[in-house]
This record gives sequence, C-alpha cells and structure tokens, in this order.
Amino acid sequence: MTPTGSLVYVYGVLSASDVAAATETGVDGRAVRTIAHEGLAALVSDVHGDALAAPREVRAHWRVLQEVSEDAAVLPVRFGTVMDGEDAVRRQLLEHNAERLGGLLHELAGRVQLSVKGDYDEDALLRDVVTRSPSIAALRQRVRTTPGAAGYYDRIQLGEMVASDVARRREEDEAAALARLQPLAVRARAEQPASSGQAFNLAFLVDREGVENFGRAVAELGDQVAERIRIRHVGPLPPYSFADLELAAGSAAWA
Amino acid sequence: MAVAHATPRGYLERPRPSGLADVIDVILDKGLVIDAYVRVSLIGIEILTIDARIVVASVDTYLRFAEAVGRLDIAQDDQAAGLPDLMESMTSGGAESKTKGVLEGAKEKLFGDDDDEDSDDGDAKQKSSSRRRSSSSRSGSSSGRSGSGSSRSSGSRSRSSKGS
Repeated sequence: MTPTGSLVYVYGVLSASDVAAATETGVDGRAVRTIAHEGLAALVSDVHGDALAAPREVRAHWRVLQEVSEDAAVLPVRFGTVMDGEDAVRRQLLEHNAERLGGLLHELAGRVQLSVKGDYDEDALLRDVVTRSPSIAALRQRVRTTPGAAGYYDRIQLGEMVASDVARRREEDEAAALARLQPLAVRARAEQPASSGQAFNLAFLVDREGVENFGRAVAELGDQVAERIRIRHVGPLPPYSFADLELAAGSAAWA
Repeated sequence: MAVAHATPRGYLERPRPSGLADVIDVILDKGLVIDAYVRVSLIGIEILTIDARIVVASVDTYLRFAEAVGRLDIAQDDQAAGLPDLMESMTSGGAESKTKGVLEGAKEKLFGDDDDEDSDDGDAKQKSSSRRRSSSSRSGSSSGRSGSGSSRSSGSRSRSSKGS
C-alpha cells in the first residue's frame, strides 16, 4: 500500500497563480516540480530509496524555499515531510486543507519573515555578571581556590547562579528588543534561543515594502546594545515561523 | 546561490541574506506540519530534527558556566590566581578563545563550524557544501552526534578533576 517508488518530498505550498519554475535542485538531487489542485500548488520532488542524507537535504530544502519565496508567498512545510505520492499531496494535503492553506497564504501574501538574533559577547556578559553580584563573586573566589573534587558542588552552585542571572538578563534584553521592533512588524514571535549565549531570537513578519524601514530600526537597536550584544539581522525569509498550521489529512489514507 | 542576488548588500540597515546556519533552527522546527498518518518518514531525516533541540538547564551547563566565569580575568582576584593562569589571561585573546564555545549552540553539533555567518560569499558556500557532501551520510550524522555528546561529558570530567 506504500509503493516506495512514488514518494514525494514536500517543500511548501503556494498559490497556483504564483507557480514559477524552480531552478534549484531539490533533496536527493531531484528536480523540483509542482502539484496543483484548484487554487493551490505544492512544491515537491520525487524521492527514491528509503534514506536521505539529512544535512545535505536541509540545504536543498532551504535553497528551494528561499528561491521561490523571492517573488511569491510560500508556506514552508516542516523539513523532512515526505508523502505517499502525487495523489496524496493533491487530495490529502491540498484539497483537504484548502480553506486553511488559502487563508494563511492570503494573510502572508506580500510579507516576509525577518529574523533578528542577538548574541552576547560572552566574556563581557560573564564579567558583568560576576562584578555586579557580590555573592557570585564570592563563590567564584572560593571555587578558584578550592581543589577540584572538593569544590564540585560549589561549582555547580556557582554555575547555577550565573545561569539564572544570564536568564534574567536575557528576558530583559528580549523584552526591550521586542518593544522596539514589534510596532514595525505585522506579527512578531520570540523563539527559543538556540544557545545559552543568545540574548534573543526573534522572528518578525514584515510587509515587503517595510523591510528597509524595519532594518533601520534594527541597526539603531544594534548600536544601542553594541557593547554587550551582537545583532544578526537576516532575511528576507519565507515565513517559516508564521506558517504554523498543523494539518490533518482526514481519513483519506485508504487509497 | 539563489539568495545572494535577492537582497541588496552593503547597507547596515538591510538584513543580510541568510546562510544555512542562520535559519537552521526555523527550518527544522517551523513550518506546516502534516499529520503523521500521511507523512512518510525517511531514515536520516527525523533523527536530525531531534538533535536540534538543546537542553540548556543541566548540571553540565552549570559546570560550563562555572568554568567560564572561573577563567575570567578580573582584577580583584589576581593574587588568587596561580601564575600560569594569570599569564594566560593576560595574553589578549587567550581568555576569549578559551571561553569561546562554552555558550555555543547546536549548529556546530549538527554541521561543524563551516556554516558560520562569515561564510556567506560564494566561495565559502561552495567549499562548505562540498565538505558537507563528503561527510553527509547517515552514519556520519549519527556518529557526529554521539561524538559531541561524549566529548562534552569527558570535558566536564576533566574539569572536575582539574587542580586536585
């Protein structure tokens, strides 16, 4: 019931009227094509065999979506989504979810995702944590003069105190960045920081015409925090963070 | 590279085109989710998405923080630091390079460091993608994972025995 020869990898969904030829090669080195149903189209490519070399395919997934999103609104599908043939894509994905997909496409049309990430200068951050907290400084001093094994729990406690201080700072810095940038965006989302050294990891949905204006605000923010935080402003991206539907495919799987 | 010509460059106020490292988290974690009943899983892909999640609050993290603050060169404790320690932190950049990486995230675990944001020019892309190709087998990705896990724990072991 699952003929392995006919699997398709799904990259994203866009309006049928926006379909453009993708020139990037997709996962597994296969050509990207579209499967359309009424007003919607899915970007797909064939998959053969039963394993994909994941890191390479992440790159392919990213490139295909990035290219298409340059002139069209595309809803990215979560990486690694493979469906059981063209018919499954057409009926279970596009037809069954037509209303939700169409609605979201309409909402995201003409808008792009911009990401604003802030990374702490680790040395400056930790130095500041130590010098501003007498209790952390004292414990640090004790740890430095206590031989390894004996100081083990002190070290854990020290690390925990530092971690919680860093967490508090992160909350403040994230709130400040959001307050500055959110008014310039249609929607904003604070993502989980990708590492403990990240101050914030923000995603914004911005009108294409507003990208430049938004960028100026990011640059200003960057100047304000330059001593502590290095800001990376990346985009425009397809609206990964705002294509947040969970799609059920009904009971069409009998086919 | 499709992205490279899309965005005007050279202006601070413009966002810069993404490198894979910039978007890896959203690619793995965001986007439309299709019901598991209709999704077909392929070996090699699902594994990677699990790796992307990081546990931040753990004893291991605390120990790394403790080590990082212990290595800071702070004036008031100069007399407490041993001479070799002191000399190390006086060499500029020494302290930085030692603590660098303590707070680094998942991308190195996933891909090594070749997707760093400095590699946005075409040359670096080419290089890193060919390196990727040569190392991107299923077994490669899983051994990379366990490798980073074990090096981390052996790192904290060696730290806890240091100085004894």
